[in-house]
Amino acid sequence: MLVREIMTKQVVAIGPDTPIRDVQLLMEQRNIRHFPILDHDSQAGGADRLVGIVSDRDVRLVGADHPKAPEGVKSSDPVSALMVSPVITADPEDPIEETAKTLRERKIGAMPVMEDDRLVGIVTAIDMLDALVRMSGVTEASSRLEVEVVNRPGALAGLLDRVASRHINVSSVMTSRSDADTVSFILRVGTAAGHELAAHLRGLGYTVYWPPERV
Amino acid sequence: MKGPDNAFVYDPQLAGFDLAEDHPFKPIRLELTRTLLQSCGLLTADQLVAPAPLAERALLEVHDHRFVEAVKAASRGEDEHGARSYGLGTSDNPIFEGMHEAVMGVAAATVTAVDLVATGRARRAANFAGGLHHAQAARASGFCLYNDLAVAIRRAVDEHGLRVAYVDLDAHHGDGVQWLFYEDADVLTVSLHESGRYLFPGTGHTYETGKGAGRGHSVNVPLEPFTEDESFLEVFDLVVPTALRWFQPDLILLQAGADMHVRDPLAEMSLTLNAMQESYRRVATLADELTGGRLVITGGGGYDPYRTVPRAWAHAWAALTDQQLPEELPSAWLAEWRERLGSLAADLPDTSQEDAGEFPPVPRRAAIARRNRLVATRTIEMLQELWDSLELDGGRA
Repeated sequence: MLVREIMTKQVVAIGPDTPIRDVQLLMEQRNIRHFPILDHDSQAGGADRLVGIVSDRDVRLVGADHPKAPEGVKSSDPVSALMVSPVITADPEDPIEETAKTLRERKIGAMPVMEDDRLVGIVTAIDMLDALVRMSGVTEASSRLEVEVVNRPGALAGLLDRVASRHINVSSVMTSRSDADTVSFILRVGTAAGHELAAHLRGLGYTVYWPPERV
Repeated sequence: MKGPDNAFVYDPQLAGFDLAEDHPFKPIRLELTRTLLQSCGLLTADQLVAPAPLAERALLEVHDHRFVEAVKAASRGEDEHGARSYGLGTSDNPIFEGMHEAVMGVAAATVTAVDLVATGRARRAANFAGGLHHAQAARASGFCLYNDLAVAIRRAVDEHGLRVAYVDLDAHHGDGVQWLFYEDADVLTVSLHESGRYLFPGTGHTYETGKGAGRGHSVNVPLEPFTEDESFLEVFDLVVPTALRWFQPDLILLQAGADMHVRDPLAEMSLTLNAMQESYRRVATLADELTGGRLVITGGGGYDPYRTVPRAWAHAWAALTDQQLPEELPSAWLAEWRERLGSLAADLPDTSQEDAGEFPPVPRRAAIARRNRLVATRTIEMLQELWDSLELDGGRA
């Protein structure tokens, strides 16, 4: 899954001269938490250039009685007084896990998505959560299975083979935990007889963490 | 003058197909149920009603036409490949010849039951072949090809102008019906089920409460595995009457899947027939209170097909018709089925009731009950707030 597939394409961007109070209003009206800030660049043939980004948190702190409130910034000031620059951006072709890692490492909530020098979207931590939900397969009617296999080539293939031989479709596979000897996978399997499949796998010697064994 | 009778919609062909030889969904449950009721004298020959044929148009009110076309082709044995992208050709939903007609027959029977009750030709009606609650608009799922319940609800709403409360007591979440009416204000769906954490299809969270015009019209209580009678009925009483009284339905449709029973091999609930029959009676009482008695019951899950399901559904019919099953099951019925089923019916019980003491005690009983109570209380509090806010927005649609 790539950033292109999960990003919001209709980006609401603002100019650096927009008064902070207008940005605040726009955030509330449109229910948006991050605004990229574009400046008209006359040098580059009139193209818009990404010069900063501002979040709802930045805006809310203006004039607030709070140790982190920006000093000397008033809500009538242009947003350029508040914006964060330079901006950490993503590429539409970036794998989403890489972007997720950047969001966490840089402790930011959103990244504008740039294709060449053009703003084509924005991707947020919420988009990442949505993607995780989709990747987990939980949105499709299925049963959850968590199985441990030995950590060696072919072990997962062997497990999937056991599932396939019972004509059960696998809609998602995720790694849950691993060490040198073992690795566990969370599978979403397209069967209402999830407990029977678990019992079958236990019978074959697999450690099945989920669903829990019947008492 | 005697009012209209109750109808047991029945088509011998519906009991005549098997999805696959070792498939857990066994239509023979229907024959066991019908013959049990007849031999107890609780079901008369003139209460048996053949389903009216169903036009494919009715199916398309709910299902995507490309899906139906793919099913038909696979059903004729022509193109199995097309059906595979719709969830078919798996162990849960095998492709078999004639499946389109067979499941159309199931839908026809549920629609007939609803038509009979909606038009007053029957007081109440049942179709234990029905209850295929997992089927989606364009996907077969969880042993369900077409969603007979949704087709019948559409009919009740569109043709008869009724507001329908759908109550789903299957161990599995009634996802297909819920999603098909998720944005619909004319239909309330209420599902009590084993938590999707442990059991297919994985949905049925408390916060699935409906969307758009259907806001507040989906009610879900995910229950702990090993929930027993007392806790189940406590949850039922906390949630179901409140939701139904708020909604004020014209018709109640009960999906009486019998897989919450402690002996069911697919789910992990620990109910006995006591709580199951009691819940059917409570639904019937709610129908008396709210819908002038109008109630339709279908079957659903239930994978302990000989010992449990026939007795559960016989109790459902007894509740629907305000009768009681005799304590002792008729010896002729037992003899007939022991003969027909051989070793499968080796432990066919000879009483209609169960003693909770027959089953091993559940550890953590108090913790399970506490957790269920908390979830049910929170669910109804959250919905109450939502319903109040809908009133403020100008009442329900």
